[in-house]
Amino acid sequence: MKHDINLTVNGELYNLTVESHHTLLTILREQLVLTSVKNGCSEGECGACTVLFDGKPVNSCLVLGAEADGHEIVTAEGLTINGQLAPIQQTMIDLGGTQCGYCTPGIVMASFALLERNPNPTEQEIREGLVGNLCRCTGYTRIVDAVREAARLQRTDMTL
Amino acid sequence: MTTKQLSVVGKSFQRIESKAKVTGSAQYVDDMQFGPNLLFGKLKRSPIPHGLIKRIDTSKAEALPGVRVVVTGQDFPGLTGLYLSDRPTFAVDRVRFVGEAVAGVAAETRELAERAVELIEVEYEPLPGVFDPEFGASPEAPLVHPDLMDYECAPFIFRQEGTNISNWFKVRKGDMEAGWEEADIIYEHAYKVPQVQHVPLETHATVAQMDGNGKITLWSSSQSPFAQRNLIAKSLGISHSKLRVITPYVGGGFGSKAGVSMEGACVIMAMLAKGRPVKLVMTREEEFYTTFVRQGLTAHIKMGMTQDGRITAMQNTYYWDAGAYTEYGVNITRAAGYSSTGPYFVPNVHADSYCVYTNHPIGGAMRGFGMPEIHWATEQHIDRMATQLGLDPVDVRLLNCLKDGQETVTGMIMHPTGLSQCIAQAAEALDWGKASKPSAPHKRRGKGIAAMWKAPAMPPNPGSSATIRFNEDGTCLVNVGGVDIGQGALTVASQIAAEGLGIPFEDVRVNTVDTDYSPYEWQTVASRITWSMGNAVLRAATEAKEQIIDMVAEVWDENPEDLDIIDGHVVSFASEESIPVKNIVVYGMQKPDGTWIGGPVVGKGRFMPDYVTPLDAETGQGPRAVVHFTTGAQAVEVEVDEETGHVKVLKIVSAFDVGKAINPDLVRTQMEGGAVQGLSTALLERLVLEEGQPKNPNFTDYRIATAVDAPPEMVNIIVEVPQDDGPFGARGVGEHPMVPTAPAIANAVRNALGIEIDAMPITSEKVWAALKAKNG
Amino acid sequence: MQAFDYVKAKTLEEASALLAEHNGDARPFAGATDLLIRIERGFLHPAKMVDIKNLPGFRAINALDNDWLRIGAAVTMNEVVIHRDVESRYPLLAEACQSVASYQLRNRATIGGNICNASPAADSAPALICYGAEAIIHGPQGERRVTVEDFFQGVGQTALERGELLTAIEIPPPPDGAVGRFLKLGRTTVGDISVMNVAVLGWPDENAASGASWRIVLGSVAPTPIRAPQAEKLLAGDTSPAGIEAAARAAADTARPIDDIRASAAYRTDMVRVYTRRGVEHVLAELNY
Ligand SMILES: Cc1cc2nc3c(=O)[nH]c(=O)nc-3n(C[C@H](O)[C@H](O)[C@H](O)COP(=O)(O)OP(=O)(O)OC[C@H]3O[C@@H](n4cnc5c(N)ncnc54)[C@H](O)[C@@H]3O)c2cc1C
Ligand code: FES
Ligand code: FES
Repeated sequence: MKHDINLTVNGELYNLTVESHHTLLTILREQLVLTSVKNGCSEGECGACTVLFDGKPVNSCLVLGAEADGHEIVTAEGLTINGQLAPIQQTMIDLGGTQCGYCTPGIVMASFALLERNPNPTEQEIREGLVGNLCRCTGYTRIVDAVREAARLQRTDMTL
Repeated sequence: MTTKQLSVVGKSFQRIESKAKVTGSAQYVDDMQFGPNLLFGKLKRSPIPHGLIKRIDTSKAEALPGVRVVVTGQDFPGLTGLYLSDRPTFAVDRVRFVGEAVAGVAAETRELAERAVELIEVEYEPLPGVFDPEFGASPEAPLVHPDLMDYECAPFIFRQEGTNISNWFKVRKGDMEAGWEEADIIYEHAYKVPQVQHVPLETHATVAQMDGNGKITLWSSSQSPFAQRNLIAKSLGISHSKLRVITPYVGGGFGSKAGVSMEGACVIMAMLAKGRPVKLVMTREEEFYTTFVRQGLTAHIKMGMTQDGRITAMQNTYYWDAGAYTEYGVNITRAAGYSSTGPYFVPNVHADSYCVYTNHPIGGAMRGFGMPEIHWATEQHIDRMATQLGLDPVDVRLLNCLKDGQETVTGMIMHPTGLSQCIAQAAEALDWGKASKPSAPHKRRGKGIAAMWKAPAMPPNPGSSATIRFNEDGTCLVNVGGVDIGQGALTVASQIAAEGLGIPFEDVRVNTVDTDYSPYEWQTVASRITWSMGNAVLRAATEAKEQIIDMVAEVWDENPEDLDIIDGHVVSFASEESIPVKNIVVYGMQKPDGTWIGGPVVGKGRFMPDYVTPLDAETGQGPRAVVHFTTGAQAVEVEVDEETGHVKVLKIVSAFDVGKAINPDLVRTQMEGGAVQGLSTALLERLVLEEGQPKNPNFTDYRIATAVDAPPEMVNIIVEVPQDDGPFGARGVGEHPMVPTAPAIANAVRNALGIEIDAMPITSEKVWAALKAKNG
Repeated sequence: MQAFDYVKAKTLEEASALLAEHNGDARPFAGATDLLIRIERGFLHPAKMVDIKNLPGFRAINALDNDWLRIGAAVTMNEVVIHRDVESRYPLLAEACQSVASYQLRNRATIGGNICNASPAADSAPALICYGAEAIIHGPQGERRVTVEDFFQGVGQTALERGELLTAIEIPPPPDGAVGRFLKLGRTTVGDISVMNVAVLGWPDENAASGASWRIVLGSVAPTPIRAPQAEKLLAGDTSPAGIEAAARAAADTARPIDDIRASAAYRTDMVRVYTRRGVEHVLAELNY
């Protein structure tokens, strides 16, 4: 069965016709060609498909596209505004938090959301906040460093 | 090599593609767009581990509207394989593991393809299976490949007729009797490693399309675009020039995307798809057991030591659980054989490495290529013997570890190596010998160390090549056939090229691979890219630089020796003249008489080792078994919960001799990533197989380390004893950091609790059980 | 994934009617974190997926007049964790819900889905049972309530009859001065499905010889989460180190685990002992009496 839905993705309104059984992951990747959203498992375990749903990170592989009707989605494509990277994107580059890069957009989204709810996380909070994002390449150290550094940058930014 | 100060090599530049990766714009195969014409492929798989195919009926699938292609092994019966051609793309008359492809379907939608696959009927006659390598090597075992001797095979692989042994590598060195005689203690023990999976975050993904001329393009998430072209073209009987492999960004490989696994199936379906592109992407479940896994191992180790810790003799027998096809695995078992002493000088050696067919998933290359498995055994064994003798495990390693000029297990003379420094520095950085206080009364801490060595395992003659072309603005493009699978190959190639040319790093770009435009590269495996491809890039840079300098020298009427390129400018030390390269690398240069010379600068370089010798089939001895060994050590501290058995790794110190770190930070990130992958396999990972049926092909029950399981502290030490034939002295380090991790952790757990875990992984439950057994 | 229809139910009546009418071919869902995986793996083939998240009250947490707390069936784990009343009055529940999977997943996974899925490893259940929570059920016959303890009937089996929906969970006021502890054992340190878990709740009680009364509930060691009444009784009598150890052993005796891919029965049993003891020790240290 098909559904007509309206949703906002990265600030733009879209009118889509989606299949009932297609996940938000499928719709973002295949109908909107937002391929930063990766499929690493389809089972909510790897976090590569993490997007913001009304500001909160979710595993888009476990959300039906039809459920997004009337909601607001942000993907990694939407974090870069006027060519300006989000702090977490910049620190992931600077501190070497990406290797093969397949987990990276999901980790960027999860970290972005983590910093929104906790601007000054401890190392343990960062690590626990990222248990839903598997990375097979980096050993996580640089990712944790990048989140910590992005937190610092954002805090300094706010006090300026 | 000059003593000239390096300006680009040795600096930690950020990887050149990282912005594309953090913004999500980096394209992987499944991200590429092929329009509404795209068909979706799906494979029909065997539900049984071993059996004869009695009948395949595809008629219902073919009748389903929207199904465009249905193919079975009968249509394309050719065999393929890297070292031993034992593997069909689709099973023909026999299936040998659960998940083997027996048919393929391409349809208008994914759901249709799934339905069509369900509609294919296959009737099997089940056969008894082989689920243990030691049993598989015995005369009672049913044969998995009755036609073993008919397969095409590399000359250095030794099959055993009428058995399941597809390679038997032997070492017979020295005098075993004398070795045992000399020993004060002899200890014999067996160790096990299960099959595990690489778990790249991106599963295998391919798209293939054939044009009207019969030319096929394969977009493939691959470590081996050229090897794929070669193997697939050969198995299909088509010309190499009719197959083009394009590899965009790759979401991790760790060996699983080396060689060929499911890619041939996609190509075959595309050949029947009337020009339409066909996409075949593995689900996570398929990834777990139908592409490649790491081979399992049962290792019997017997070692003799003198009172003061000197190894006098070693007898190792390896039974590899190599899976249903060993086309790639045979060479892993060979590498294990020629590395079987570990990084030690052992005068008397008797080693047998048996590659055994089982009805398990296919064993292939995985980070370390046999080394994590064999070091799991030897590095624990040495540690235990040191303890038995009351000696310090670090001292025993320092005493026995290979020094420059000593003979290796195969009779090769060891090149200069920083192994001793690695062991000593790793121990020191962990405060070896000093106990630290546990965080709770029911916890115990322990420290452990393991050393390692690993050579690039490959045929004697794997080649690399590179070209460099300039753009009008003085930037240049390096074309290579090596793949950046996350290790940073593109960045390293850029740095080598920039250094070799004398231009800024930012002015160099490196392309991802397209076999129609990229120069040949054997495969991105064996930690050989920095070294081998790096050499080709450096030669290409040197040639391009010569073209530029010769041109300028002629125009300026100077001696080329007096010219150099520095920071993008040709400068003369004689005349102190200078000219930006951008002015001259495409259009050439005008001479005083008004005519022009030069033209577009194109540098080319190639590299292939030309000194590796064969080894004697009976003794495993020969002058030069391999190109070189990268060596190193890891020291770890653990804290174990005595009641639950949970092992927390607190700290990992890695020290590896990389010859020369082209990009030190990339080296460090390899060390960190490798250590955590090693930790993950050490503590958590095992593909559970019951009578060949995978029981945990998902992340729910095949757990891998998360950010919380990774150690809070990692220290990385770079040791640099130059490689004589490496670019700027470099050798590879991609695989090595996961080799010693598991035994180092096992040794630390033993140090903490006095228990011994013979079979990987060291799960909490196993520690708990061992403690119970110990405490009665 | 196989095709199905998606229906966003607007009223309870509509939802019940859909479920009753389609006779098992229609599935209610909230976060779909259990359901989609079972469909993906081919264990379930619903023709209709009925989204019940938007039914009135399903996403709300309310303090009721009788001082009970009502949590709508479709409240997510993260919403439970950060809710003021949960944090202040039912911290054991917050601790349990926080232990589920990852932050992303907890933005979708609901407390109602967790108990309706009826996995023995459902992490919210032991805490809910400790507090004596009740499941509010709406069906063709109207509303009824059962304790969460009785709501679980077996692996994947609940007290729900055809056409019935869980609308909310209601939790009675906690005993004065209650302190809880939820401990969960996974293979990975954080975020794994429970190999076993235990929830411990203790509160000052002058009628108890030890000065405190106890509730102990074990997860993933029987077909449903189970109470350990013998351990509770022993602790009411004696919370000396020996008494705690005896209670922990009694809890282990109550467990009826199986061997499976995650752990052996023997290991699980012993971990019940260890974690019960640790949980009780923790609670005891915080109890004021
Ligand atoms: C990666 C991953 C990790 C997980 N880790 C954990 C964990 O650590 N601990 C844990 O406890 N669980 C875990 N789970 C399981 C799951 O997330 C939880 O059980 C979750 O709370 C289910 O809620 P849901 O809303 O997503 O359920 P849904 O999938 O929507 O529903 C689950 C079941 O309940 C039924 N149902 C839902 N709502 C109602 C209702 N109101 N009335 C009647 N029936 C209803 C559905 O038909 C279905 O059968 C994990 C799942 C995944 C995918
Ligand atoms: S793809 Fe969604 S969590 Fe892995
Ligand atoms: S960078 Fe490869 S999985 Fe994280």
